Amino acid sequence: MSGVAELLRHPALWRGSDAGAPRTVSTGFRHLDARLPGGGWPLSTLIEFLVPAAGVGEIRLLLPALRALAAATPGEPRWIAWLAPPHLPYAPALADAGLDPARMLVIRPRAGLDRLWAMEQALRSGVCAAVLGWIGAAGDQALRRLKLAAEEGCTPGFLLRPSAHRAECSPAALRLVLTPRDYGLDVEILKSRGGGPARIERLSIH
Amino acid sequence: MLEGRPATLTPAPASHRPALELVPVLPGVAALRTRELWLAAYFPRLPLDALLPGSGQARAAAVTAPDDPRRSIVACNERATRQGVAPGMSLNAALALVPGLRVAERGLPAEAALLDRLGRWALQFTPMVSLEPPSAVLAEVRGSLDLFGGVMALWRRALAGLSASGLQASLALAPTPRAALWLARADLAMTVTRADAMPGLAARLPLACLQWPEDTVATLQGLGLRNVADLSRLPRAGFAARFGPQLLNELDEGLGRRSMPRRRHVVPERFDERLELPAAAELVAGLQPAIECLLGRLDAFLRARASGVSVLRLDLQHRGQAPTRLRVALAGMAGDAGHLRELVRERLAQCRLAAPVTALRLRSGVLLPLTLCDAGLFERGRSADPEATARLLDRLRARLGQQSVFGVSPVPEHRPEYAWRVAEPGRTTPVPLPWPAAHPERPLWMLAEPQPLDCWEGALVTGPERIETGWWDGHDVRRDYYVALSSAGVRLWIFRERPPGQGWFLHGVFG
Repeated sequence: MSGVAELLRHPALWRGSDAGAPRTVSTGFRHLDARLPGGGWPLSTLIEFLVPAAGVGEIRLLLPALRALAAATPGEPRWIAWLAPPHLPYAPALADAGLDPARMLVIRPRAGLDRLWAMEQALRSGVCAAVLGWIGAAGDQALRRLKLAAEEGCTPGFLLRPSAHRAECSPAALRLVLTPRDYGLDVEILKSRGGGPARIERLSIH
Repeated sequence: MLEGRPATLTPAPASHRPALELVPVLPGVAALRTRELWLAAYFPRLPLDALLPGSGQARAAAVTAPDDPRRSIVACNERATRQGVAPGMSLNAALALVPGLRVAERGLPAEAALLDRLGRWALQFTPMVSLEPPSAVLAEVRGSLDLFGGVMALWRRALAGLSASGLQASLALAPTPRAALWLARADLAMTVTRADAMPGLAARLPLACLQWPEDTVATLQGLGLRNVADLSRLPRAGFAARFGPQLLNELDEGLGRRSMPRRRHVVPERFDERLELPAAAELVAGLQPAIECLLGRLDAFLRARASGVSVLRLDLQHRGQAPTRLRVALAGMAGDAGHLRELVRERLAQCRLAAPVTALRLRSGVLLPLTLCDAGLFERGRSADPEATARLLDRLRARLGQQSVFGVSPVPEHRPEYAWRVAEPGRTTPVPLPWPAAHPERPLWMLAEPQPLDCWEGALVTGPERIETGWWDGHDVRRDYYVALSSAGVRLWIFRERPPGQGWFLHGVFG
């Protein structure tokens, strides 16, 4: 047994679970953190949420992480970009939730192509703590561009898309399916780079 | 008023002490040199010339005071003067004298702009030009005398320039700015080059050239004082006590007993270049080489001055048609050519050419000094460097439009739809937290307009929260709000108008 442990410490040995040892930020939910590689949302990449309807609880799921991301900056606080949200972010509620409304950046492009372009710009600029994008349908190549932009700008990009896109392949490092259940949320981990097999985590969020 | 030569020098009246020493101009004679020599140009009809340029003599014209119930005349042209109109007269009186009088209300911005232009004109003589609003320009020309070939040559040159401009003007040269100003206002057209000559000249300067408040001048005239020499003989302490130390200081400045520091008129530099296209371009793509060329010149211009710009104007000029004007406004200031190039390209991609373009003109706004800061090598992406933020905003706005990128700000208000507003990103009014204390939870998303719910299936979770306010401005609300759970599992914020009966409305989504 000790021999195995020693072998595992060998520097030449590469294991799936520590692929690139992603920097993460805690989701704020202990059970969910435990299931995610690195113990939280990976930074500098794409994270995809598949939701049956806008507003099932995806923002509340993100709130603790957004708070942490917006605060964890030594200099000028960074922006939280809302790209083509289905409704307007409501400043009083954001302030109540502990997010500074002054650091919110709402971007409402008209056309679908402009959405992808704007999200790429926001991710690449490196001045956003997080970019939340409701980009709708997007091809694999477009998503790959976004992922590269996220890596370049060291910014997590949260894609919020309808569950209909579940069967499509996606380069996102983490794909979650959210299902509302009894005032809480079922989080199904569809894909997780460097994580275990898919499974469902039941969260109660308020 | 403009005479070809300065007034010939007259011997001083014997009654004055010291003897009047108006010295003929002898360039190059060191003994006559004072440290400074000021050229004053006074424009008595500036209010008229600024509004009705070239109003000339064809028709009587006058300008009236803006905030005056009598609409008294501020300035009028010669033809009006000949027919009896004079400054200070009420408009009705002037119209009675000259029924066909052309009248305009005084425009202070236009006057300031004209004075600014005259200041630029005076910069050809010396870098030390100072404006004396509302209607005079001062220039210190001692250092430029040799360049222009002496006092007389400079004088003639200034005179010729002003005659060509068509403005009514009078010139004077004196060792101090105040003295030159007085001489010009008195329309004496003199060159006084000796510092000690001013007290002797004072007898020829009427009180009006001081341009002191009307009641002060009236009081002085009531005392039997007619000119500046009379004033200079008054006891100083008594004068200061009665009319204030400021006027005594002015008197001292004019008579050379006290120095009068002047502020320099600095002309802001701008980039403004035009480029003809070799052939008229019908497509935006055809403009690209010319734009690259102009932007390259702008880059060199900004680099040489270590400056940035915050606004750019690009005019696409057509043949026989008004130019298409494009404006690129930047969120911050930029001196980086690559960024400017990208913005101009995005802005151009948005525009459709109304007609073939024959020439381009690129202009900058006011130049702003660029402060350089070194980017952190290891902290990349960790903080929102304001410059990078400005670049992102510029880029987004150039393509998506100004209105498509914004921030949100809470507003202390109980009506939910008025409790926020669109704001410039980062320019949010800080609201004391918690905001406002102890109200029930609010949804993270708000609908732009409450949306009627026709067939509503779902469960009410909490409520009601009654909001009944705003009766004072006509947008009053009387509503009962509930948190509800839709059949799809979405938590909604819905309300029912009071009194009930008008159905349910969806107002927010908790997200």
